[in-house]
Amino acid sequence: MLTWIDERLGLADWARAGLRKVFPDHWSFLLGEVALFCLVVLVLTGVFLTLFYVPDATTVTYSGPWLPLRGQTVSAAYDSVMRLSFEVRAGLVMRQIHHWAALVFVAAIVVHLLRIFFTGAFRRPREINWLIGIGLLLLALAMGITGYSLPDDLLSGTGLRVIYSVVIAIPFIGPYLAFLVFGGEFPTSEIISRLFVFHVMLLPALLIGGVLVHLAILVRQKHSQYAEPRATEHNVVGRAFWPSQAFKSTGLAILTAAVLALMGGLVQINPIWSYGPFDATTVSSPAQPDWYVGWLDGALRLFPPIEITALGVTIPSPFIPGVLLPGIAFGIMTLWPFLEAWVTGEHAEHQILDGPRQRPLRTAFGVAGLLVFVILTLAGGNDVVALIFGVPVEAMTNILRVAIVVVPLLGFGLTYRVCTEMRDARAGIGHPRMVRLRRTSAGGFEEDDPD
Amino acid sequence: MEGDAAAGQAVFLARCASCHGEVGQGTALGPSLIGVGAAGADFELRTGRMPFGGAPGAQAVRKPPAFDDPTIRHLVAYVASLGEGPSIPEPRVETASVPSGQRLFIANCAPCHGATAHGGAVGGGALAPALDVATPVQVAEAMLIGPGEMPVFSGLPQGQRDAVVSYVAFLQAQPNPGGVSIGAIGPVPEGFAAWVLGLGLILIVVLVVGHDWRRGR
Amino acid sequence: MTAPRAVALALAISILGSLALVAIYVFGGSIQLQGIGLALALGGLGTAIVIWAVGLIEAPIEVEERHSFAAQEREASIAEGAADGEQISRRRFLSRLLAGAGAILTAALVLPAFSLGPQPGTDLFRTAWRRGMRLVDAGNQPLRPDDIVLDSVTTVFPEGFVGRPDTQTLLIKVRPSDLALPSGRDAWAPEGCIAYSKVCTHAGCPVGLYRAREHLLLCPCHQSTFDVLRGATPIFGPAARPLPQLPMEVDPEGYLVALGDFPEPIGPGFWDMTHPGGRRMR
Repeated sequence: MLTWIDERLGLADWARAGLRKVFPDHWSFLLGEVALFCLVVLVLTGVFLTLFYVPDATTVTYSGPWLPLRGQTVSAAYDSVMRLSFEVRAGLVMRQIHHWAALVFVAAIVVHLLRIFFTGAFRRPREINWLIGIGLLLLALAMGITGYSLPDDLLSGTGLRVIYSVVIAIPFIGPYLAFLVFGGEFPTSEIISRLFVFHVMLLPALLIGGVLVHLAILVRQKHSQYAEPRATEHNVVGRAFWPSQAFKSTGLAILTAAVLALMGGLVQINPIWSYGPFDATTVSSPAQPDWYVGWLDGALRLFPPIEITALGVTIPSPFIPGVLLPGIAFGIMTLWPFLEAWVTGEHAEHQILDGPRQRPLRTAFGVAGLLVFVILTLAGGNDVVALIFGVPVEAMTNILRVAIVVVPLLGFGLTYRVCTEMRDARAGIGHPRMVRLRRTSAGGFEEDDPD
Repeated sequence: MEGDAAAGQAVFLARCASCHGEVGQGTALGPSLIGVGAAGADFELRTGRMPFGGAPGAQAVRKPPAFDDPTIRHLVAYVASLGEGPSIPEPRVETASVPSGQRLFIANCAPCHGATAHGGAVGGGALAPALDVATPVQVAEAMLIGPGEMPVFSGLPQGQRDAVVSYVAFLQAQPNPGGVSIGAIGPVPEGFAAWVLGLGLILIVVLVVGHDWRRGR
Repeated sequence: MTAPRAVALALAISILGSLALVAIYVFGGSIQLQGIGLALALGGLGTAIVIWAVGLIEAPIEVEERHSFAAQEREASIAEGAADGEQISRRRFLSRLLAGAGAILTAALVLPAFSLGPQPGTDLFRTAWRRGMRLVDAGNQPLRPDDIVLDSVTTVFPEGFVGRPDTQTLLIKVRPSDLALPSGRDAWAPEGCIAYSKVCTHAGCPVGLYRAREHLLLCPCHQSTFDVLRGATPIFGPAARPLPQLPMEVDPEGYLVALGDFPEPIGPGFWDMTHPGGRRMR
């Protein structure tokens, strides 16, 4: 059969070259693949969900088997997700696998991003793929937010209210932009169907297209590699794609799906029947978005109540933590390859990766940034953390307000110090080396080499 | 079986008067009990919140009751005699009221107790407790008296309060359709599980797959 | 166990898992069984492939040459290719006009996006509350001060607007002597009944939690805390403005009615919220 295809498309030479391509063999190079396989699971389960979901805010009367909601007025969207969960065979497991896959997808992207950053893989010639990667991260976040808002339940609707308020807070264009996106003053009946269009059509197109370009560039440029005796800046040392790497990747893909399937069947997630349909006049607590937006919620919680009005223009308090600071953070992240090249003056190509300790400054910045992210994410769940540890919420908030400044600074200093120490110890610089001496028969001393 | 107010007074003087005053008028250590009624006394005693065992100013929390049933009845009778207050409610738990109970619960109770009634931190060190072990009578009593920081919901008609009680009973009996609920307090434990369980298991696979099992030549 | 045996065992588990899945689907089974069946089917297959990959496939380390794409190393460059279009660059005025026309057309094509939503107008400045509108509960029942229980909290709306989100209001009863409102606002709180907008002035969540003993309203989204006795002034959290107070009085029939709309815009801030023109139509 392959011959039949080859006779019509002439792929044999291209395929042979592709299958023989060498990929370096290291577990940390598989992290991006994990994200890719989560995306595959998301698309497969997502298509199933799309066949049952109704993107309509028009109200209907729920008449399904979940007793507490029987006879209640809910949106058609919410009703369709309830039906999928309780009346469609395998509906709930597909929904739960889809949602777990979304959470793990973004986690895998973050871990992959950390590997790229700490090994300096973003340096020339891979700046383009870094930019695409940041774009893919943002698209993944957008996919997640639009996705979990589709069921139109009380929790996700509250999240949409917060997003609307953050957009409103943008000076000059905020109210216009929010009214454009939502179709009017919150809550609107248009937003659900618009989120649906983004979630199943526009964003997946960009995301999948971006992933394909990301992979194509990777194949074109060949994968980077860690330093080892045979590796140089002009070769790639590893194993051929076929059959070894292909089998490993396939196995990893199927096992990733197996883990997500296990979680989807055994661990409950997003029980929209408990939250009930969205009602703009009530709220449940605790109220959080999914974990990957937790940092934004945490920023909103920690930022002090500062609202500035000058010359008739008000800068509402959500603007700085909700728009300005994330914008700056993502901006720095996006431009990092160019910033680092400008600061270090290194414009040469790098095919060999750094160990983190070889670049103390970069690693220190990375650790500090990561700590900011972790503390903000923790702050997003400050009331839950307060509940679990029996600490008053106010105390938790104030502790984190201090921590968000102190801990990253400490982390920066500590990481820098540790990296330089480790790097210098390797090179034998600056540390008095302990030496064992032995008396020779002639009366002098010589080094007693334990080797 | 009605309690004996005289017997209750004896226990009261021994165990309660030091904080609530000789005739329940209140002191610096404890509020007045005049007007809390049988419902108030019954709630606090049966949930073990009273006698208070915590630090001054801390919230009274559920613990095993300090008194047996007859003693509680006596104390309830005595406290009820101190002033006009709500009597012990007899809520009707009905399946038919569960839907209206859900709506009322989400509107009035979920903001503090959570949509799944698993409780929440409400600020100032106060906790809205989980309702997993509260009996129907205790839920009804709490709505009547508004214990601690809880608002008073006696303004709701009896039928609505009973519907809320029915919904809480439903929540207590209902297993989680989706599997293990990991706390049922939303995305925070879910995110934790995604990282620790989901990505954790996958990272184990990654390390196995990426390991050089044959010590490459 | 040797690698081939392990692969066979894993595949056998996978086959059993897949067959179990069919049975679970056809005859009905809990979500847990569905998940476990799927996990076994996928897990067995994946494990088999991985064991095959690491245990059965001979994969020697190979070295492949890289080729840099840096300009000086390549035979042709993009600049040289573009230079073939020299004829175009000689017509500089026309090229610039072409670029300009393209840019303006692109901008014009964005115009339909503005059909997505209305102008905000006065929407953010006003709610549906008007003078004389009675306060009603969720069941559209008007309320008398005597009906309101001390230390209770009720969500109320204007009569005829039950459920209308921008009008959602919290009605709380406190002891009149406990109130310490800004000057003039005592008149808006008859007999200890006090009403505030339920929309948080931080990010718009309904301020659903009421700590009755301390008379504090808490918003669950970001923990903004408002002091009911002091005009819902924020005392903790990121909210910077108090919850607007609804002016109320008791009408001749004894029911609570509004004296007018809230005195300032409800909910989260926006850039021109202090603009007097926004309140033009009260």
